[in-house]
Amino acid sequence: MLRFDRRLVHHFDWVLLLMLLLVSGMALINLYSSTWNGGGSVSPALLKQSYLFCAGLIVILLLMAVDYSEMETLGYILYAGIVVLLLYTNFFVHTIAGTQRWINLGFFRLQPSEPAKLILVMVLASCYSRKEVADGYRLRDLLVPGALTVVPFILILIQPDLGTALMLGVLFVSMTVFVRLRWSTIGILGSLGAVAGFIGWKFLLKDYQRRRIETFLNPEGDPMNHGYQIMQSKIAVGSGKVFGKGFMEGTQGHLHFLPERHTDFAFSVWAEEWGFVGTLFFLSCYFFLLLWGINIAMTARDKFGVLLAFGLVMLIFWQAVINLFMIMGFLPVVGIPLPLFSYGGSSLLTTLLAVGILMNIRMRRFLSRQ
Amino acid sequence: MIGIRRKKRTNKKRAEPLLDTELKKDSGVTRLIHRDEGELDFFRKRAFYGAFVIIFFFAVLITRLWFLQVQQGEKYSRLADSNRVRFLEIAAPRGNILDSKGREIVTNRPSFNVVWVREDNRLDDALLKKMASILETDVSELLARIRKMAGTPGHIPVRLAEDIDWEKVAYIENNRMNLPGIKIKVVPLRVYHFGNLASHLIGYLGEINEKELKSSNEGVYRGGDLIGKMGLERLREKDLRGEKGRHYMEVNALGFEQRNLKGVEPLSGNDLQLTIDMDLQRAAEDIMATEGKSGAVVAVAVNSGRLLALASAPTLQLDKFIGGISHKDWQEMLDNPLHPLINKIVQGQYPPGSTYKLVTATAGLAEGIITPDTIMYCPGHYRFGNRTYHCWKRSGHGAVDLNRALSESCDVYFYQVGQRLGVDRLAKYARLFGLGRKTGVEMEHEKPGLIPTAAWKKKRFGKIWQEGETLSVAIGQGFDLVTPIQLAFMTATVANGGTLYKPVLVENVRDPDGHVIERLEPEIVDRLTGQGRNLQLVRKGLIEAVNGRHGTGRRARLQDMDITVAGKTGTAQVVRLKQYKHLKEKDIPYKYRDHAWFTCFAPADNPEIAVTVLVEHGMHGGSGAAPVARAVLEAYFRERVKAGEDINIQIIQGGVPSHSKQATDTGRTGEVRKNVAF
Repeated sequence: MLRFDRRLVHHFDWVLLLMLLLVSGMALINLYSSTWNGGGSVSPALLKQSYLFCAGLIVILLLMAVDYSEMETLGYILYAGIVVLLLYTNFFVHTIAGTQRWINLGFFRLQPSEPAKLILVMVLASCYSRKEVADGYRLRDLLVPGALTVVPFILILIQPDLGTALMLGVLFVSMTVFVRLRWSTIGILGSLGAVAGFIGWKFLLKDYQRRRIETFLNPEGDPMNHGYQIMQSKIAVGSGKVFGKGFMEGTQGHLHFLPERHTDFAFSVWAEEWGFVGTLFFLSCYFFLLLWGINIAMTARDKFGVLLAFGLVMLIFWQAVINLFMIMGFLPVVGIPLPLFSYGGSSLLTTLLAVGILMNIRMRRFLSRQ
Repeated sequence: MIGIRRKKRTNKKRAEPLLDTELKKDSGVTRLIHRDEGELDFFRKRAFYGAFVIIFFFAVLITRLWFLQVQQGEKYSRLADSNRVRFLEIAAPRGNILDSKGREIVTNRPSFNVVWVREDNRLDDALLKKMASILETDVSELLARIRKMAGTPGHIPVRLAEDIDWEKVAYIENNRMNLPGIKIKVVPLRVYHFGNLASHLIGYLGEINEKELKSSNEGVYRGGDLIGKMGLERLREKDLRGEKGRHYMEVNALGFEQRNLKGVEPLSGNDLQLTIDMDLQRAAEDIMATEGKSGAVVAVAVNSGRLLALASAPTLQLDKFIGGISHKDWQEMLDNPLHPLINKIVQGQYPPGSTYKLVTATAGLAEGIITPDTIMYCPGHYRFGNRTYHCWKRSGHGAVDLNRALSESCDVYFYQVGQRLGVDRLAKYARLFGLGRKTGVEMEHEKPGLIPTAAWKKKRFGKIWQEGETLSVAIGQGFDLVTPIQLAFMTATVANGGTLYKPVLVENVRDPDGHVIERLEPEIVDRLTGQGRNLQLVRKGLIEAVNGRHGTGRRARLQDMDITVAGKTGTAQVVRLKQYKHLKEKDIPYKYRDHAWFTCFAPADNPEIAVTVLVEHGMHGGSGAAPVARAVLEAYFRERVKAGEDINIQIIQGGVPSHSKQATDTGRTGEVRKNVAF
């Protein structure tokens, strides 16, 4: 079954690999600075992240040998598995900081909600690629994909991890809008969404979640907590000015004014130390990677490939936009990392897998289905 | 249009799958492959639109970064600098307060407060519980303190505990890494070396409130600072407070100091030396306190206006104010029937009673209505109009001259003097003695008292002055109101021959290096010119009042010190209720009893000190107030007498117009002296 075609090597996506290495390299450099503790040694976080990156890179290169179309069916098995894992974390894992998000695998604490996003993209791509609806999707055509989204959405929401749960929603909307919808469907879904949003705000949001959003709307009302974080992040970014304060010279990060400075606010550290020049370079690489992903979608050999590639790009893109908007003060504090850049094993592995699948799709663009 | 195109394609598609399905042999596996090129194209195009979305957001992000980093970079750069350099203020030791002999009344000691800097760290439940157990207090107490500071900027520390002991300081310092945001702040606290003595005069400190913070535009205060709330602590705040020191620290967001950058040491406040002699003060307050009296004692140096003792009884419990008074203690003071919070020296207004006869007598002599030899007959009452005005001695004094009228306090004599003078002429002399106007002493909320005139009554009540009312006013009843300090200065003016000084109580102000930066200069407010002889006649009556056989103020005599005292008693009627008229004095409820006055000066022949005592509800000046004055005088002269110094010789040595020892002796025995030179 495993058949290696020499053309695959020929068609290997060197551009995407180069962009991946560039972005990840910047991420590790930044992690070195943000976790530097004053001593001479490299921080454990940096070591762990580097090992995970290498391991992940090897894994995705090995997985290249498997045709991505296997995921059309494999996705559902993975989906079942992730639902079980989510149920397990929700009901059997002890609470960390008020939320249940991690499963301890000994060497690694897995956060099942991260791969859940990737797996959702797979099953949605599979789902939409099988169905051909001539005049666009009607509401009842969306029942299955909708249900596929709602199950992990609710499981993650009750962890509670509003940010990741909403991320699933965003992915569902992105991919559903991507395939055709009838205008009537859009109208109905839009109004349903508005009602759900209202009810959610009124009855379902936890206090701290509502407070975060209120804080964002009125940062002066809560200068100590989340408004404070955003303010410190803006100060960090802004004070980098054009050329930055220099590597390891950022005061906001090194003097601990920045919260979560190696995870959610990692980019603030980068912006402070490298300035506008650095952020421009980083975002250019990052967005080139995303646009390259779109290119992969546009050249994919089949519908599933297009949908999968597009979904994976959206997975990275929306997380990046939400994280960067938060850092720059456009959005309230939500726990969404900057993929590839923020410290965090589950997110890194998930994103690497996503990039690996993109490479896989790219590599097989000229091959017909086997 | 798009819809139409879509339809076309779909139609095509429907047929295609069959055509595009082929058998693939090279893979070895046969599979059905969808070759739906049309739909694939459609999706690819849509993916291309996705690129526009991505580029749009990229542009937004880059624009935002341009705005933050290039456009506003300078602003955020400044914010970042102020973020990491924090200046810590170091409280300046307040100036000390000394008495006239250089003894320390109030100084400082270091104390340790526990504060939480909110912007350094959130105080979560666990930390809050930990702090509560370290400080041995309740979480609710800490929460209450935190809540009180809600709405203030996060860099202003919240005080969690004041003046903690060494063990707690050591514990918190050792565990500071586990207690982010928690700090020990060293704050100088006041030490009162004389306990509650002179409490109304010195006042107390308290935490600055929002209003005070706003009204001080000098920017020297911050929330949580201590500021003078009363007395000299408040009035001399600018002298006492000193200048805060500042340490610039590089800190991280957890508030841990990284580096000490530079600093300015705090500058201590200026020291105040008072004119108050704590020996006199103690004498005055002790006797008031041991007898549970409420009232005021004022002692003044008659030739300069220096205040030697200023007591308002009951005293404030100064130690309860250190680090903020509790609500319970405050309520207790408010509810105390003796009103400790009222500074009776300047805020208590009482009818002067018979002490006012000094004014009536002086006015009568000055206006030529009486001479020392004018004799009036006192049958115990005086009829005016259709009313009868009683003398306090119902049986009457008989034939009375000025000397007897003063010494035995004959009301009928002064009714007639007053009636002949009229209210306005009386008021003129009262004002020259400083009555009816604020003295300007450095105390808060001073009341002016009240000296009525015909015009005043017209304005106040819209009614004409009744001549009968003048009779009441002439003996210090009716509308007359004075404060104890006013009476003291009236007495001093009589004693020194007519000069009304401004009361002063700060001798000098010294900076921390000991340089005198402000020195007291006696200040004359008014002068009763050309009345030297008349005042001498009044003084003679006052000597008689203390030393005479029938004198009302005999309890103020200092016979064992061989010093002559001159003085006048007074009784200020509180109410005249018929139901109490025939009761025995001790059966009258406390709050309806009359106030007792005694005002005096000594030595009578060459006065140095005047003492005025008011005892609220003390019934009679002679019994209620005179012994207090005597105690103060005794304290004043004690050391000099002990040293064997003859006060009278001292006077001669002082080159002041002299009189023989014999004159003093005769004065003491109560005989009228004819050879007093002045």
